Amino acid sequence: MNALVFSGVSKTYRRSHLGRVTETVGLSGLDLEVRRGEVFGLLGLNGAGKTTAIKLLMGLHLPTTGAVTVLGRLVPDVDTLARVGYAPESAYLNKSLTGRENLRLFAALSRIPSSGREGRVADMLARVGLEKAADRPLSEYSKGMLQRASLAQALIHDPELVVLDEPVTGLDPLAIKEVRTLILWLKSRGKTVLFSSHDISEVEKVCDRIGILSGGKLARLMSQEEWRGRPDALEQAFESSVTRTDGVGPIDL
Amino acid sequence: MDTIKAVFDYTLKEHLRHKAWLSAALFGVALLAGGLVASALGQEERGRLMLDLGLAANEALAMVSAVFLTVHLVLQEIESRAIFLILTHPVARWQYLLGRWLGTVAAVGLAMAGMGAAHLLALQAFGGAPLLPYLGVLGLAFAKTAVMAALALLLSLALTSEAAAMAFSGFFFVLGHFAPELRFLAEKSGSVPVRTVMVAFSHAAPDFSRLTPREAWSGGLPDPAWFALAFLYAAAYAAACLALSTQVFEQKEF
Repeated sequence: MNALVFSGVSKTYRRSHLGRVTETVGLSGLDLEVRRGEVFGLLGLNGAGKTTAIKLLMGLHLPTTGAVTVLGRLVPDVDTLARVGYAPESAYLNKSLTGRENLRLFAALSRIPSSGREGRVADMLARVGLEKAADRPLSEYSKGMLQRASLAQALIHDPELVVLDEPVTGLDPLAIKEVRTLILWLKSRGKTVLFSSHDISEVEKVCDRIGILSGGKLARLMSQEEWRGRPDALEQAFESSVTRTDGVGPIDL
Repeated sequence: MDTIKAVFDYTLKEHLRHKAWLSAALFGVALLAGGLVASALGQEERGRLMLDLGLAANEALAMVSAVFLTVHLVLQEIESRAIFLILTHPVARWQYLLGRWLGTVAAVGLAMAGMGAAHLLALQAFGGAPLLPYLGVLGLAFAKTAVMAALALLLSLALTSEAAAMAFSGFFFVLGHFAPELRFLAEKSGSVPVRTVMVAFSHAAPDFSRLTPREAWSGGLPDPAWFALAFLYAAAYAAACLALSTQVFEQKEF
């Protein structure tokens, strides 16, 4: 059973300025399936289409062609979102609210019944280590604390599918380890985790399978058996699969 | 309903923590200035001036606050990307817009109520004011504010520029005070295109003549049916703006 299916999905961004239309390809004919209960990593260079794929499955973008199915339902679908948790690459939270108020908001939006909401909020704050800072406004939080608050909002409703966009980018080594532990904890509870990353070493440690995106296309699909016990196997596969599309050449010293 | 309430709650908190107190402070300054001018007038004129000045200042500050807050309401949340997290939860886009609009209108309404209470107290020094007509006029000013907030929201989403949305809101606000005159001029115009444009504008802009009880102070309050019709008109106009805003918002990608 698949948690997530991309069927021939293309996304083209059209921008019009003073009558001149420019088109950028975000995704091009992506076919990809993510199984229930697995940890799947999306790897790729900047502009490869990782964030576009995630925004399509979260309903923030609409596909130009093709279809995205999440937990058995075509997206965009508001009701499906109650079963999905999403943490973007930065903590885009409302900074005028406190940590607790933010979580209360997302608990209510996630349709957690009001009777159990306060308990759930307190529990999540404790789990991400923010109980002492819970009543401080987010404008006073450090980057690491904001990242924790962002993870808490993604998990507050105990989702079946957790989508993490670049969850370790910009974090210190201790925080990276905590995110790794979190992903493995989610997997142990039968959750499906999809995350995008540039960090091959992190992906190696936690993923069951990975997909390498290049130029909006799926360049390669690999499973754990192909890289486990073979140092550099994933890095070599990555290097041979991707092509720079941003016009930047290699560094030649 | 829970979803709309959640969006309403955080919008109200956001406004109360940031900007809503400002209009009340400005109102205090306006009243103080008015009091100084009034001290040079006779007793009857003093009361009348303070009444008119207070109501006008209350409505003007509420209107400016409502338009200013509303044009930033969604666009800033798009710019800061906070909208990513809201719309990736099970929130329909109409629920988000309705909650945001209601929260803003409530914040401005609270400021209006505060200013109104301060004004009524200040009027005691000038012989007081009849409470029921005062509340009726304040209620209509609130309805005008809610209508302008809905229109400003629509304009901000359609134009995607805060400056342009504010300019057009100002344009429609002025136009809204001349809707019957526009229709009268359209009738008199011999040119079909001019007539069509004038009629279109007179209907697109809110008709504030329906929300202005000119006789409230001179010949007593209009009858309750007039008030019911006025509030019905405001609700219908705001609902139409919100429905159109939803249509525009549904097409947006983030």
